[in-house]
Amino acid sequence: MGDCQSLGDCDDQRIVRIYEYLDGSLSREDLGEIKAHLDGCADCSHEYDLECVIRSVVKRSCKEAAPETLKEAILARLHEGRPAAV
Amino acid sequence: MMGKAAMQTLSPVVAQASDVKLTVRIDSSVMNTSEPEQTVSTQSATTSEVVSTDVADVDVANETTQARRARFERDAMVYVDQLYSAAMRMARNPSDAEDLVQEAYTKAFSAFHQYKPGTNLKAWLYRILTNTYINLYRKRQREPLQSNADSVEDWQLARAESHTSKGLRSAEADALDHLPDSDVKNALQAIPEEFRLAVYFADVEGFAYKEISEIMNTPIGTVMSRLHRGRKLLRDMLADYAVERGYLKEADQLTETEK
Repeated sequence: MGDCQSLGDCDDQRIVRIYEYLDGSLSREDLGEIKAHLDGCADCSHEYDLECVIRSVVKRSCKEAAPETLKEAILARLHEGRPAAV
Repeated sequence: MMGKAAMQTLSPVVAQASDVKLTVRIDSSVMNTSEPEQTVSTQSATTSEVVSTDVADVDVANETTQARRARFERDAMVYVDQLYSAAMRMARNPSDAEDLVQEAYTKAFSAFHQYKPGTNLKAWLYRILTNTYINLYRKRQREPLQSNADSVEDWQLARAESHTSKGLRSAEADALDHLPDSDVKNALQAIPEEFRLAVYFADVEGFAYKEISEIMNTPIGTVMSRLHRGRKLLRDMLADYAVERGYLKEADQLTETEK
């Protein structure tokens, strides 16, 4: 099962499926189908691996800590203006 | 107006909702592998954990300002790093990003009585952040961000497409994995904004399509196509950086389209 001689077979639809798979947006049946396919198709499983790496790289790279001064400024703004109904 | 279309695009997501709950449950017993099932459920877990904050006993209508502020500080401030990171993908520099987050929090607090406890607070905050960004930049009308997007997008996409069949596929996961953070951020920054944000919301924050469509105020179909194209572009850019750094052989990456 799941062997595709040419990339063409797998290109667009399957890649979209792989995205949806990783996005957690597949129905149960589709999930099974794509998993079975990934097991049998080297191209798609390469595609899948690559996509996983890209996501983890993006995630890793985009982690920023908000400056403390920003947090303080936000809190200060929340407390200014209307005094609390203590 | 968008009723029918929206329903149609929504239905797969709705259908999947029951699966999501299941996978989450399975996940909590398994925990912590990077198998495909877990990738799927980790994402759902991120979104559903937010919902699980205390739904009960908040009487929004009769809450004092002080109580509301305390609730806001407790529930919303935990997202400040995440919102700041997102703002950094929107604005071009830390100072604008700070303004953006500050403004978003101020707005969020003044609208907090409209937020329905038990619904997804993180997505709600992201929506406010995104709107704030759009409004702020529209108001300032400086460097009309999207003016070049169409043409940029066209050539970039054409190029990405031309690589799809050979070059990009042979891009090595290892090579991309070794890219420094700055390259990855620059690559993201270089793709058109709507694509960039969609990719960011999905890949970094793990928002579901439906949530992204609410955050960006666009139909789910649009979200999906933005994601699809954005990911292609991003991958293309990343592969370029990997070639530049010598992590990837040029022959693997650039074919006849080399400029």
